Amino acid sequence: MTGIIDVSQLAKTYGDGTKAVKGISFNVSEGEFFGFLGPNGAGKSTTIKILTTLLRKTSGSASVAGFDVDSDGAKIRKIIGVQNQDTVVDEDLTGRENMTLQGELQQMHGQALNERVDELLKIVDLVDAADKRAGFYSGGMKKRLDLATTLVHDPKILFLDEPTTGLDPQSRAAIWAYLKRLNEQGITIFITTQYLEEVDRLCRRLAIVDLGEIVAQGTPSELKQEIGADSISLGFENSTMNGGDTRSKAKELLEKKFDGISNIVNSDIGLTVYAKNGGFLVPEIVRAFDDAKIGLSSIGVSSPTLDDVFLKHTGKRIRVEEVSSANYRGMFSRRRR
Amino acid sequence: MSFFSDSYHLFIRWMKKLVRNPILVFFSLFQPIIFLVLFTQLFSKFGSLIGPGVSYTVFATAGIVLQNAFSSAFQSGTSVVDDIKSGFLTKMLATPVNRSAILFGRILSDMFRVAVQTIIILALAYVLGVYPQTGVAGYVLVILTVGFFGLAWSGISLALGLKTKSGETVFGIAGFLTFPLLFMSTALVDPTSMPPWMQTVSSYNPISFAVNAIRSLIMPPPHCIICTNVFDWSTILQAYGVIALIGVVTLGATLYLFRKVVS
Repeated sequence: MTGIIDVSQLAKTYGDGTKAVKGISFNVSEGEFFGFLGPNGAGKSTTIKILTTLLRKTSGSASVAGFDVDSDGAKIRKIIGVQNQDTVVDEDLTGRENMTLQGELQQMHGQALNERVDELLKIVDLVDAADKRAGFYSGGMKKRLDLATTLVHDPKILFLDEPTTGLDPQSRAAIWAYLKRLNEQGITIFITTQYLEEVDRLCRRLAIVDLGEIVAQGTPSELKQEIGADSISLGFENSTMNGGDTRSKAKELLEKKFDGISNIVNSDIGLTVYAKNGGFLVPEIVRAFDDAKIGLSSIGVSSPTLDDVFLKHTGKRIRVEEVSSANYRGMFSRRRR
Repeated sequence: MSFFSDSYHLFIRWMKKLVRNPILVFFSLFQPIIFLVLFTQLFSKFGSLIGPGVSYTVFATAGIVLQNAFSSAFQSGTSVVDDIKSGFLTKMLATPVNRSAILFGRILSDMFRVAVQTIIILALAYVLGVYPQTGVAGYVLVILTVGFFGLAWSGISLALGLKTKSGETVFGIAGFLTFPLLFMSTALVDPTSMPPWMQTVSSYNPISFAVNAIRSLIMPPPHCIICTNVFDWSTILQAYGVIALIGVVTLGATLYLFRKVVS
């Protein structure tokens, strides 16, 4: 395996004993658009920090462009661009100054630096705002500036941790468009994100991590084919019935009555059922649940998406956060009262 | 050497930030200026307690100049906390920037800022009739002494910021330290008017050493009223000794804590 990023049995245990990464292996080839997905706390940011030399690994090996992350950190830092999860720009400096400073810290100077900054300002559509302080920028503009600052020194590899989270759809689309163009110019992109449609469209390959381990990797179409079935999402009116858990009752019923089902997993609203010809199954499921007096609040069918891949491997929807399930419970109890 | 160029670029960054937030300069200059203009009037009778014909304004200028270094240098730690919290430090660390230059650029900017503020206060003092008996060389030495004191002192604030990673804590400790240290020194009062125990504290207070050196440059020594160009080198060198000692300890601690944050 010789990729531009080579990771083998990489592990990180923090000082407090938390095993954030538990021996993962993957490689990214030059010019690839590589997605690194996982729920919160899966170990994505830890992995990025190790690869960008911001954090020391506990064991295993990791190299970037052939340089070892431990012994050749300085060489790695010269050829990578890193964008953190939070937008980081100096709000007291103008857009141009932010970019120039990053270039200077990359040992660039003079005419070459100025030209490069001008060129990038055009690419990220910040020419008009270039000499305004970044503090006056909108969220989307700051994000674009942040991205541009990571590109000043023309990095070979770009590490992006959630580059579009919290942006409005238009800004998000703009960032993805820049990333696509950069990748076409030959820059390797290593990205973590929650936006699976974009991953599906742009990433050539991806790995899904959960609880510090890689649970699946491959191209988006490979991973979707692996599911091999439509997904039927069922939402229940009540989470408990007759003193028992609705989910397990429903699961029992489905397993008993239907043959074509390949897998059933819990979702935040109820269950997700994987089956061939999901469309034909829906009316039958509705009828069966009606007979068993299991109240359905929603039902939907879709052909496999990366979200299903994600759910299958991690048991979670990618955007499920504690807040949303808490809200759901809150709504539910209010309705009952 | 990237150390020097990186330090320079980051120094420029801090200077730009300061110029664009003049309120910061205003706040750290406000108190010394109030002291210089009002406080000295209020305590004008103090002068005659120190010696015949001594103007309290002349006496207090040395302390006030140092007070400004004191309060400005204490802002240093909060700036580092801001960089840690905003992620800007991490962003810099992902570049080949020289690690020590990140600190040095900041310290350099503190020193420069304190020097500029000192010039503003000295200019105001000049209007009020205070100017060093040692002339231009005296001015230069006063500014340098205050600058170096600011440099050493910002180390305490930086170390606190790196250790606690909380701007409020740095601010709280700074506020807690400022008044006792300032008043139990020779900054604003002559030690002879202090109770004996405070005299002892004051004689070990590092602020006293720096103030005494600055005062020796501004005020004529007690035995001659109209002396000019009298340099009291032993007092000046003592002050530099104390400043160097504080500098080594605080900047050493800062560098050590910074390495821990960085790796």
